Amino acid sequence: MSIEAPERPKAPELFPGDEEYRRHLGGRRRKAVIFQMFCLAMLSLAVLSLATLLYTIINDSFGLVATVNENDPEEIVAGLGHDPEVTGLQDLSHDQLVGLLEANVSRGVGRRLEREQRFYEDRLVFESDATWAEICSSGGSPTGCTAGPRPHADVLQLVNERVVVPDVIASYPLVSSLLDPAGFEQEVTEEFEAGSFPDHDIEQVSIEWRAWFNPTFLTTPQNSTPEVAGIRTAILGSTWMVAITILFAVPVGLGAAIYLVEYARPTRLNEFIQTNINNLAGVPSIIYGMLGLAIFVRLLEPVTSGAVFTDGVPPSDNGRTVLAAGLTLGLLTLPVVIISAQEALKAVPDSLRHAGLALGATRWQTVRSQILPVALPGILTGTILAVARAVGETAPLIMVGAATFVTTDPTGPFSKFTALPIQIFQWTSRPQPEFHNIAAAASIALLLLLLTLNAVAVIVRNRYSRRAE
Amino acid sequence: MSNETSADRSIGDVIEANPTTATGPRIGSTEAVFEPPGVIETNEMSVYYGAFRAVADVSLAFGKNQISALIGPSGCGKSTVLRSLNRMNDLIATARTEGEVHYHGQNIYADGVDPVEVRRTIGMVFQKPNPFPKSIFDNIAWGAKINGFKGSKIEMEDLVREALESAALWDEVKDKLNESGYSLSGGQQQRLCIARAIATKPDVILMDEPCSALDPIATLRIEELMLELKEDYSIIIVTHNMQQAARVSDKTAFFNVKLNDAGMRTGRLVEYSPTDQLFTSPREKDTEDYITGRFG
Repeated sequence: MSIEAPERPKAPELFPGDEEYRRHLGGRRRKAVIFQMFCLAMLSLAVLSLATLLYTIINDSFGLVATVNENDPEEIVAGLGHDPEVTGLQDLSHDQLVGLLEANVSRGVGRRLEREQRFYEDRLVFESDATWAEICSSGGSPTGCTAGPRPHADVLQLVNERVVVPDVIASYPLVSSLLDPAGFEQEVTEEFEAGSFPDHDIEQVSIEWRAWFNPTFLTTPQNSTPEVAGIRTAILGSTWMVAITILFAVPVGLGAAIYLVEYARPTRLNEFIQTNINNLAGVPSIIYGMLGLAIFVRLLEPVTSGAVFTDGVPPSDNGRTVLAAGLTLGLLTLPVVIISAQEALKAVPDSLRHAGLALGATRWQTVRSQILPVALPGILTGTILAVARAVGETAPLIMVGAATFVTTDPTGPFSKFTALPIQIFQWTSRPQPEFHNIAAAASIALLLLLLTLNAVAVIVRNRYSRRAE
Repeated sequence: MSNETSADRSIGDVIEANPTTATGPRIGSTEAVFEPPGVIETNEMSVYYGAFRAVADVSLAFGKNQISALIGPSGCGKSTVLRSLNRMNDLIATARTEGEVHYHGQNIYADGVDPVEVRRTIGMVFQKPNPFPKSIFDNIAWGAKINGFKGSKIEMEDLVREALESAALWDEVKDKLNESGYSLSGGQQQRLCIARAIATKPDVILMDEPCSALDPIATLRIEELMLELKEDYSIIIVTHNMQQAARVSDKTAFFNVKLNDAGMRTGRLVEYSPTDQLFTSPREKDTEDYITGRFG
């Protein structure tokens, strides 16, 4: 629809006439629509890529599995004189379950389990009373000496792990499992017919649903058998590392940013420093890994191995510890923390600085009470995002020598450790398909960890910006 | 006096007519008027931004318990002069002040003078209201706290109340002292900023176009407030509004932009006289042109 403007002043030679103007307007509008569609298409592409990523991970983390048990639970139950139709393993009594363990587990493994946590309050199963009294009276007595007896569920899990010993021989991704469960059965049968599993009989195979990502997976340590492997060591390793990264990068980065924004005069030196910080933010992480290896692992080995803090045996025999990795990631994060803190500080209007200084406040008083509270949400958001980035870093950790197979939890800054991305990397490079499933499950855990960090960033920002208003 | 100044007769006249020494009585321009020693006196003050000389050779004396107005066209350096009176110009990395600024006879640009101390004594109110993003109470209490206020909680409450009463804001905000300073209207925010400046017990208050962001009614309230405040404080105000200068000030300094030999625009003091005299019978042709609206 066009608008008539009969009284428009005439400027024929500079502006197009009404007719031409309308034609031109149509062209402008078409261009606008095309550009809008282009932006929408790009957005869809971005959403699609993210959706594909999530699909891949989730698809591998859940689905049907074909399991072969070394000992069939039904036979075990029948062996104890129960009807397998009525009674399952979980219905057996505590005594029966412990009895199963006693009969099927080697004495050495049994002792280890008992030292971890005993089976009965009043008596021992694998250890002799005399040895028990001896190890419990010694200095580094194991946890079993003080902890209460194992609960029923715990013993049941042990029986499952050690007596039944389920072995996943084939797994099917989530979407195929949902759409074509019969196809999986057929596939497994064909595999058997082709003689892929000479050790097993097709009668033993049970096909069931399995969530690779489950609470047990999160709380069990690393294991060489994918069915029972978990990521507790990796999660704890990542947590320790992030804690050290934050402790190092946040105070240093914030201090540097405050100096550069609030105090530094625009001298050549300061401009040089600023340019370098900007460049450092773009340095590939593998380079930081090399730096970390040279400085923290080699040069500062007495510190990172904890040797300087103890008189006797150092907590670690070399510098490849949580501390070295945390500091390396701290260095990697530092430029980003500085830059985001600088941006947040620069966004605070100068009028507030002037207001503070005009009242006779020192620069520090003004920064502390007026500038920082306003800049804090921005600083925290930038910092947490930078740290979240560091949690997912793999290359520098490989350089500083994060171990790929650690079954004991890190207990302090001088522990050997592994981290979630390292664990995922290591599992995906294994040939057995089950490792790919747990790698996908570990990816979910890593994503959830990052999501939590980002959620914290949002909550903190909202909370502080409300207070600042 | 520099060569540039003597090359320019009218400026030379002004400075001869307003001799400024650190102490002692002064002789007015046309009639002999006894003036007490100024609370702030500038002596041959020039301000540079890098190599650019923004204002040159300003010699002025601002009287105690008076309102002194600085007027002039845009770019004449009146705000620069104001900011150099409490060393706020130090915050601009390239700014440099030459000459002397005396506060009760002490050069505030002398070595060893802490600008923090200067600003606590010579407070400032800015063009745009700039309350802190804190409660009304904290806006005022903070200045006292950082300057080492030793009183009790009740004494602090009294101080806040007193400052808000002096700024004619108490009745409007007494029920919402815990609300954010941003919840107030523009005019109220500016009075909050005045109250904040008063609470640190300064001697002089500098105001940099304090009403330019306000509507006429809010402007009127601030003007009334200035007239009340001059009982206790010396006020120096920069304004674009000649009527405002005429309404509130006791003395007015007119600045103008002059091109020097190199073609650089430099602000210079043209005339400094009692306000009624400057607006009724200006001595300088430039002043007359400006106040009659022929330029600027």
